[in-house]
Amino acid sequence: MYPLYFGVLPSILLTLIFSYLPMFTNVIAFMDYDMFNGWLGLGSPFVGFQNFSFLKDPDFYKLVTRTLTYSVAGLIFSFPASLLLALALNELRNELFKRTIQTISYIPHFVSWVTVASLVYIFLSVDPSGLINNLKQAMVGGERISFMQKPEYFLAILLITGVWKEIGWGTIIYLASITSIDPQLYEAAQIDGAGRWKQMLHVTLPGIMPATVILLIFAVGGLFSSNFDQIYNLQNDVIRNDVSTINLYVYYKGLRDQQYSLSTAIGLFQGVISFILIRTANFISKKVADVGFL
Amino acid sequence: MAAFRKEEAYGLRIKRSAGDKAYDTFNVLFMLCLAFVTVYPFWYILVYSFNEGRDAAMGGLWFWPRKWTLQNYKYVLGNPYITNAFLVTIARTVIGSIIHMVVTGFAAYTLMKKDLPGRKAIVYFYMMPMFIGGTLVSSYLVNAKLGLLNNFFVYIIPGAFSFFMMLVIRTFFEGIPESLEESAMLDGAGYYTIFFRIYLPLSGPIIAATVFFSAVGHWLDYYTNLLYVSDKHLYTLQYVLYKVVVASETSDMYRELQESGRLLTLTSEQQVTTQGLKMATLVIVTFPVLFVYPFFQKYFTKGVLVGAVKA
Repeated sequence: MYPLYFGVLPSILLTLIFSYLPMFTNVIAFMDYDMFNGWLGLGSPFVGFQNFSFLKDPDFYKLVTRTLTYSVAGLIFSFPASLLLALALNELRNELFKRTIQTISYIPHFVSWVTVASLVYIFLSVDPSGLINNLKQAMVGGERISFMQKPEYFLAILLITGVWKEIGWGTIIYLASITSIDPQLYEAAQIDGAGRWKQMLHVTLPGIMPATVILLIFAVGGLFSSNFDQIYNLQNDVIRNDVSTINLYVYYKGLRDQQYSLSTAIGLFQGVISFILIRTANFISKKVADVGFL
Repeated sequence: MAAFRKEEAYGLRIKRSAGDKAYDTFNVLFMLCLAFVTVYPFWYILVYSFNEGRDAAMGGLWFWPRKWTLQNYKYVLGNPYITNAFLVTIARTVIGSIIHMVVTGFAAYTLMKKDLPGRKAIVYFYMMPMFIGGTLVSSYLVNAKLGLLNNFFVYIIPGAFSFFMMLVIRTFFEGIPESLEESAMLDGAGYYTIFFRIYLPLSGPIIAATVFFSAVGHWLDYYTNLLYVSDKHLYTLQYVLYKVVVASETSDMYRELQESGRLLTLTSEQQVTTQGLKMATLVIVTFPVLFVYPFFQKYFTKGVLVGAVKA
């Protein structure tokens, strides 16, 4: 059996170096990290929870509120969107049309947030090439709005782009779940006189509940986080202070301002909260719906 | 819907009400709108990129170029900033995907054997860091100490193993009948001979899916570049795209045009604008994946299915 272990050797090494080592390096959150003194924090003075003083800073809680707002709003919009689209796709009668639409719907997923942000900046610009402003002037007149420089539009832009980008891809899991529903359940429903709507309600929806709940649990775990990719690309110097989230703050403080200890402390805090959230959500879901993992 | 087709196979035809028909029409219209909203932004970029910059800046461009030109592309493709990023990105996509496949595939093969001592321990070992893992800074420091900053291999090595894909591949391997392996071993074949002669040839679909996902991940990644690379010669396409379009740093490209004197050879009508350059860059960076992914569609829908069932 021994030669077999060579197969897992690379992956074990990689996990050790790139997952476990950073995990231990997190101790610098409890230290006044001195870059030049010691490998990964071993030579720096220990300062206990000093770096966690951000928990007393009211500005930090503004950041938390904003992050949670983005996450919850995103959840409310994007989560049902894919589900509803999957249900609607399932109702299409023409297989070729359905597959074509599906292929098209995956396009935004295979494009990076850099691209999406680029599109947003182009379409929302005040230049003549900004189609949204062109439309707006054609329909309601008035001045051209520089959308990307006004923080009040940011949430809407986040939500719209978030849905646009992933709604198609998100349907894959739901459609896969639907195909695994026993056709006999549909037949039984039809014999009982259920029309399409009732069938969807009483056969399809319960059938995809397990998959939906698992996805929901993961989403809850991510509430304290945010989509760095999306927000980093969509923000700019003008609105940054009003739209930043915890993730962005960690990035700027950590890698730009080189405040390694503080940034790690916040990161740890996020990790612990996410862990608690996921476990709680999983626990509740197991009690209530008997669906969960681990 | 499976149910409808089945009943038609049995010769039953459930009558569809007027409400049903209305819903169907509405559904189709909705899908067409969705398709339009999805495709149009990309079409617009394409149109703009093939239009002369000055002319396009006047507005009114909707569905077709007004003044066709290849100037934007000539300049973007002739720019070393871009072509270098192209090479870097292609290199990382090819090398990275292959290494990822090898590392993850071998791990899956090894962990497939149910009687392997320590099998569960190894799996838990992989899973543990997912609960409390490294943070941005701690990962950065580790990579820095390893000398991976401004190093091409930062694109390849940290991401070479993916636990989730390993599970998917392993599930696939477990679906291959053990009898094949048993008879091969009776013939005296070693573990790796069996891997290359039996499992690999039968794993076409899962390998295609894995390599596809890995390749797409590499092509679309700019985060690694953002965090770990400041050397212009190691920039990836997405990062260049970010710099050129989102951060609006076209000055590099534009300046190079002015310095090389090529701008002067254009007539005043044919002026290349930064916006036009941005559009062409966008097309070049974004469209390759869009042409490729439909061919892999059946692989990734299957792959997700397997992964989802596992979850």
